[in-house]
Amino acid sequence: MKLLGMMLPLLVSLSLLSGCGEKEKVIVYGSPENEKEVEAVLKEEDYVDKTTVIQYDNSMLVAVQIKPWDKWKKAKLEKKLQKKFDEKYPSKDVFVSADYKIFYEANKIKREQVEDNKLKDKIKKLKKLAKEET
Amino acid sequence: MVIVFQSKPSLIAGGVVAGPLEKRSIFSQYFDANYDDERWQMKTNEQGHRKMVEEACEFAMKKAGVKKTDIDYFMGGDLVNQMTPTNFAARDLDIPFIGLFSACATSISSIIVASLLTEVGASNFALAGASSQHNAVERQFRYPINYGSQKPQTAQWTVTAAGYALIGKHHEEYPSIEAATVGKSVDYGMDDPFHMGAAMAPAAFQTIQSHLAQRNQKIYHYDLILTGDLGQLGLKLLKGMFVESGIKSEELTPLRDAGAEFYGQDETFQSGASGAGCSAAVFLSYVIQQMRAGTFKRVLLVATGALLSPLTFQQGETIPCTAHAIEITMK
Amino acid sequence: MEKEQYQQLEQNVTPKPPYFKNVAKAFLVGGLICTIGQAVSLFYIIFFDFTEATAGNPTVATMVFFAMILTGFGLYKKIGQFAGAGSAVPVTGFGNAVISAAIEHRSEGLVLGVGGNLFKLAGSVVLFGVVSAFFVALIKFILVTIGVVSW
Repeated sequence: MKLLGMMLPLLVSLSLLSGCGEKEKVIVYGSPENEKEVEAVLKEEDYVDKTTVIQYDNSMLVAVQIKPWDKWKKAKLEKKLQKKFDEKYPSKDVFVSADYKIFYEANKIKREQVEDNKLKDKIKKLKKLAKEET
Repeated sequence: MVIVFQSKPSLIAGGVVAGPLEKRSIFSQYFDANYDDERWQMKTNEQGHRKMVEEACEFAMKKAGVKKTDIDYFMGGDLVNQMTPTNFAARDLDIPFIGLFSACATSISSIIVASLLTEVGASNFALAGASSQHNAVERQFRYPINYGSQKPQTAQWTVTAAGYALIGKHHEEYPSIEAATVGKSVDYGMDDPFHMGAAMAPAAFQTIQSHLAQRNQKIYHYDLILTGDLGQLGLKLLKGMFVESGIKSEELTPLRDAGAEFYGQDETFQSGASGAGCSAAVFLSYVIQQMRAGTFKRVLLVATGALLSPLTFQQGETIPCTAHAIEITMK
Repeated sequence: MEKEQYQQLEQNVTPKPPYFKNVAKAFLVGGLICTIGQAVSLFYIIFFDFTEATAGNPTVATMVFFAMILTGFGLYKKIGQFAGAGSAVPVTGFGNAVISAAIEHRSEGLVLGVGGNLFKLAGSVVLFGVVSAFFVALIKFILVTIGVVSW
């Protein structure tokens, strides 16, 4: 019980910390032509928590984070979103991933303003990574 | 059923050695030695166990000033499979030997046999006692030492200790063994190996009652009735049984338990200590020394043993228990 | 005294296990272990090329490694006594079961001692884990085949 007394304030303060600080939910990086459109598409899906989209040439990397309870259906929702984007942009090469690694790297690309020539390699690597199985 | 020893064999000396954790015992000041290494610098727990038996015997012999060659019989046992630590100690001691198994009641059953040998004149000096080593016994009956299972409040802690007594012909200056009662194997349907006190209490009750009845004694005739390793809960149950049989609880003050007192009030050890070494260590150090100092004049030592094995427990059998008693007096 | 009478007495004297306290302790310690596991998993995702899907393996290995250190120093049994199921259910508990058996039986040699007894406690976890996984998969397969759910 002593331990409980010690842990409780810590837990409360942690939960408070995560409560505030709402961040930008949808981030689109790269060619800004259809930024608003992509944003609208993602906002339609209520299971999507946060998104980072990277556009280059004719490709699009959509990294999403799914809301906690919907994570049970992560694989299904990922597929659903992929289909939606494929239908919406049939001419583009769209890659949707709900994996945290992809989301983290996408944000890093945005933050570091990676140049176009390196971007291609990097995204190629990420796609390969996302397809890896255990 | 009660055995009365006409020649009153003497408990000449007791040798008790214990492990590192037993330094926390409230009885540790009475022990002959406390070792820091529970393996006694040996390679395995079982070898350490054997060494412990040998050293306890050495202490008993040294105190009485007798040599190995003077000893006629060696009686003892422990809780490990086929009692190899004691058997191997007997090999090194090189004394005629009978291994005895009454689980944790072995400390008294071996003294009873040694006293009988002395009574019939077959033995001048005999070593008798028992021992247990925590690590060796836990792996035998329960889980590996480092396995993180939660033990309930009713559980008891197997002691690392060996206690051996030197039994000889009657001599005034030593405590003398007056009588003994060999217990039955009693089963009251208890089946929890983490609640041994509850399983053993009825055996202790029966043995004490039958001893008192046949000796025409009451509890108040004794300065101390000390059970072996019932633990705090087991002692409570034993007292409860006496109360239900019509004895007032004020009269029960001589009733104490070595296991319940062994580690004091330390909650780490839950209900208290257990193991063949627990009763042997306390009986043959604290009790003997207090008797020689004159604190106790008449004592009933009741060692209790749970006669289970991991096999019988897994096969769903209940736990039969036994209790053996000796009555010791000091002029 | 009769057996039934004694069992009654035993029931009265024996303290009831503190269920609520045990559950609270198990929840806290179990949660703490899982939080550490999550942190390790994030560590692998951020600093190495592991995805959420592939980070599981190195995370489990690391947690078992932690359990090994704690077991070797005799600390895991103390955590276990405090936490109960909280430290037994996570993978560290499985690691502890394997490692404690290995340490225990070292004195009987590598092959017959360690090898023969390594899964003494954890063996049934492995067995029934595999068996129950098989039946869960079988049930799901049947449900998918008859069209109740999809994969």
